[in-house]
Amino acid sequence: MQTERQPPMTEPVKTIRIEVLRYRPEQDSEPVVQAYEVPFTDDMSVLQGVQYIKDYLDGTLSFRWSCRMAICGSCGMMIGGVPKLSCQTFLRDYYPAGLRIDPLAHFPIERDLVVNVEDFIRKLEGIKPYIVPKEPRTLEQGEYLQTPGQLEQFLQFSGCINCTLCYSACPQYGLDSKFMGPGVLALLHRYNADSRDGASAERMQLVHAEEGVWGCTAVGYCSEVCPKGVDPANAVNQNKTASAMDYFLRFVTPKAVANKGAANKAGAK
Amino acid sequence: MEVFKADVAIVGAGGAGLRAAIAVAEADPKLVVALISKVYPMRSHTVAAEGGAAAVTRPDDSLEHHFNDTVGGGDWLCEQDVVEYFVAHAHEEMVQMEHWGCPWSRKEDGHANVRAFGGMKIERTWFAADKTGFHMLHTLFQTSIKYPSIKRFDEHFCVDLLVEDGRVQGVVTIENASGEFTLIQAKAVIIATGGAGRVFRENTNGGIVTGDGMALAYRHGVPLRDMEFVQYHPTCMPGTGLLFTEACRGEGGFLLNKDGYRYLQDYGLGPATPEPRNKAMELGPRDRLSQAFWHEKQKGRTVDGRHGAVVHLDLRHLGEQKLRERLPQIYELAEQFLGVDPAHEPIPVLPAVHYTMGGIIADGKCASTLPGLYSVGECSSVGIHGANRLGSNSLTELIVFGKVAGIEAAQYARSVNHGDAAALDKQADAVAAKALGIATGNGGTERMAVLRTEMAKTMEEGCGIYRLGPEMQATCDKIDELKQRYRNLKIDDQSRVWNTEWLLAIELGYLLDVAQAMAYSAFNRKESRGSHQRLDGYEQRDDANYLKHTLAYFGGEGAPRIAYGDVKITKSKPGTRAYGAAGEKADADRKAAAHD
Amino acid sequence: MSARRPYVRSMDGWWRRDPFFVRYMAREATAVFVVAYALVLLVGVLRLSQGEAAFNAWLAALRSPLSVAFHVFLLAIFVYHTWSWFRIMPKTMPLILPDGRRLKPGLITGAGLAAAALLCLAGFAVLMGVKP
Repeated sequence: MQTERQPPMTEPVKTIRIEVLRYRPEQDSEPVVQAYEVPFTDDMSVLQGVQYIKDYLDGTLSFRWSCRMAICGSCGMMIGGVPKLSCQTFLRDYYPAGLRIDPLAHFPIERDLVVNVEDFIRKLEGIKPYIVPKEPRTLEQGEYLQTPGQLEQFLQFSGCINCTLCYSACPQYGLDSKFMGPGVLALLHRYNADSRDGASAERMQLVHAEEGVWGCTAVGYCSEVCPKGVDPANAVNQNKTASAMDYFLRFVTPKAVANKGAANKAGAK
Repeated sequence: MEVFKADVAIVGAGGAGLRAAIAVAEADPKLVVALISKVYPMRSHTVAAEGGAAAVTRPDDSLEHHFNDTVGGGDWLCEQDVVEYFVAHAHEEMVQMEHWGCPWSRKEDGHANVRAFGGMKIERTWFAADKTGFHMLHTLFQTSIKYPSIKRFDEHFCVDLLVEDGRVQGVVTIENASGEFTLIQAKAVIIATGGAGRVFRENTNGGIVTGDGMALAYRHGVPLRDMEFVQYHPTCMPGTGLLFTEACRGEGGFLLNKDGYRYLQDYGLGPATPEPRNKAMELGPRDRLSQAFWHEKQKGRTVDGRHGAVVHLDLRHLGEQKLRERLPQIYELAEQFLGVDPAHEPIPVLPAVHYTMGGIIADGKCASTLPGLYSVGECSSVGIHGANRLGSNSLTELIVFGKVAGIEAAQYARSVNHGDAAALDKQADAVAAKALGIATGNGGTERMAVLRTEMAKTMEEGCGIYRLGPEMQATCDKIDELKQRYRNLKIDDQSRVWNTEWLLAIELGYLLDVAQAMAYSAFNRKESRGSHQRLDGYEQRDDANYLKHTLAYFGGEGAPRIAYGDVKITKSKPGTRAYGAAGEKADADRKAAAHD
Repeated sequence: MSARRPYVRSMDGWWRRDPFFVRYMAREATAVFVVAYALVLLVGVLRLSQGEAAFNAWLAALRSPLSVAFHVFLLAIFVYHTWSWFRIMPKTMPLILPDGRRLKPGLITGAGLAAAALLCLAGFAVLMGVKP
């Protein structure tokens, strides 16, 4: 259900110019900019602006959205050339100059502001994004014990809402989509850092790869645009250190030999 | 059209749908599960739930306490045998979630922490900061990836069920990206599509909460139960309706009127103490708090905000450090959307529609009246919430009954064979033609946004916190009219690729059918109970005539047929819902009586 | 047959599109000048191996106005290089201590810059103590 928003009668009606990069594959050979004049109030988000366009000006404008409170991750767009969640970006900050909205960068455009994020989903599925218990425990035995300090180790990285703004910020991903990317690597780190999990060695094989952390050149823009403070740049780059350590230690410790064994097993799968 | 053969099809991949899918996969890895969702699973509205999930945990707590809190909170309209099952299986599901990685907030000793919540006698709400739904949903989604038997159909919009030989045999979906149809054959179908709050104007819900599954089951003759019971959450953001979690009040927040007075003490929830007390004041049940707001507004004691009347949620005394640690998301919401710093200013709030207590009729095993069709989560009425839901019971509901639905559906699927493919094909073609008919619009004149606005407005007027007969009748008439006008939609978008206007039009059809069931159910319940409160001569609860569930049966183009069903009472005889000092006295009396 | 036709946008000129990327490219570009200066020093080592006369000729060349200007320019580049290096350094370390407390990235950057400044001063002092 879109908003039925109309500006309250008591306030003078302001309008703002919103330019949107449209793309309708059945009629457009390539994307084309379309401009709309949208009446707005100071508390309206860009999402509400786009909803107004769809409700009252042009029903053909397609975009994703749901929760309106920056937790579902649906409404990412390039707003003024910067990846943002449209539900927590406000029209008042672009007035009177107006704004330009594009679909999220570095993803193929399916239609208007809807991009194809299947690559992200496949990558997320590929990192064993679940607990592989370090030690077994029955339900009757209750919860694993985990101190607040241990929870802190990974909680920040578990706050990712999968909005993919970081992928739109990452030029390495834009240049070569084989790179696993900030969000997925942050989720991988979340599981490695969880005291209950025992699959670090397996996941490190993904980290060591060229498409793993070594595809990152520490641009750092991903953490800048992240709406939830996940800091994927930190997750990726501290794992470069970890990866390098692993590389040198394998000549030294028996555990490193076991790691290699696990790697071979993983490779054989 | 393309055909996919599954054993169990699940429509909706929120907390309930994902839990059910995992349950099927664990019960029998050979069963193929088609997990269908019109959005990527992590966008499901479970993600927005904040406060927590209830389960008896502390040694001074008991299943009986949780049972009594729930049945009393539901104003005795609950299926008590189902509530007994629910409270008994809550804790093990919390532990299961923890084993799957859910980052529950912890005590210093490493055990999971629990907090107070509205209407709960003892602290029993498990929580993950103030983003419990988010963490539960992501834990379930990521865990579901472990099971190869779960085949996901992401961004597939379900347009109908296929019913043949008296049982459900599959669904038809539209792939959002291409506009192409798929026939998903299944021996059992679980509907987990969530609530229908978007029929109202101000609501906490995301855009996708449009009652899809409810309407689909309803149109195939399955009754929708207790649809008149809609929960207004007392503390929501003016303008957008976004939620400020009950946990704000659990941590000790106050609700103040324009005189800075904690007005809840005037409504049987007092006396006011500086520390939060369970089942008293700001920790009373949601319906009572929303009703108190309405009364304050009538008395002119609310504050005038730019979006209408509000009251103040005062969290200043908690201090910035505690706020940032225990309620970080609330802090952000207040700052970004309202420009309010909760550590220094009170937050303007008002009640908004939050939860649909009613839904598809489901017995204790999640089965509906249609063989092979199950429902779970907010879309279903399994009988635990009755006339008013307690906060933190619904996240628990998702996983306790998600598991039940999965196991039951798996069992049913193993007991039957796939039906006649040709017959299903024929039905599916008819479904596709009907759906395409809505897309082409036939040059109609009615704009969707206009119909939607009128629906939302009339529902707010007729089915608000307090209801009056003539207004409810007007709402029924208006919805009837809107359903007529719906046949004359103007659709700008005639494409097939990502045509969201088409999908929204189909959703509007679902919304109108569900709204109609709600309005007629409300009009016909001539008593006040829980969240259905009337001011037109039916102010009292009438157990003699209305200790019954409302059942709404689809009437096609006409009005729904309203019938009534019995309520299962086992241990708890209908009593008075007492909170605050009265509640404490009632508890003491009950204890004394038990010792005599 | 589906009518989907995903459109892939070009990455041409990507780094010019956002000030953040321009700063990033500037940071990366400073590495080129580090290499350039390394080459200068490498030539100096070569001249040293060729005897006192060759080495003195190299030193004299370095004192030419053009060379001094180039060195001042390089110094500015290296200051930016050092500063941007320490800005990104916190990202390469775990910032959450075992007991759950956070390390402030600013502290790490500050400490790094301070250490770099101290080393430069120490090196300068040593140089000034050396008789020509």
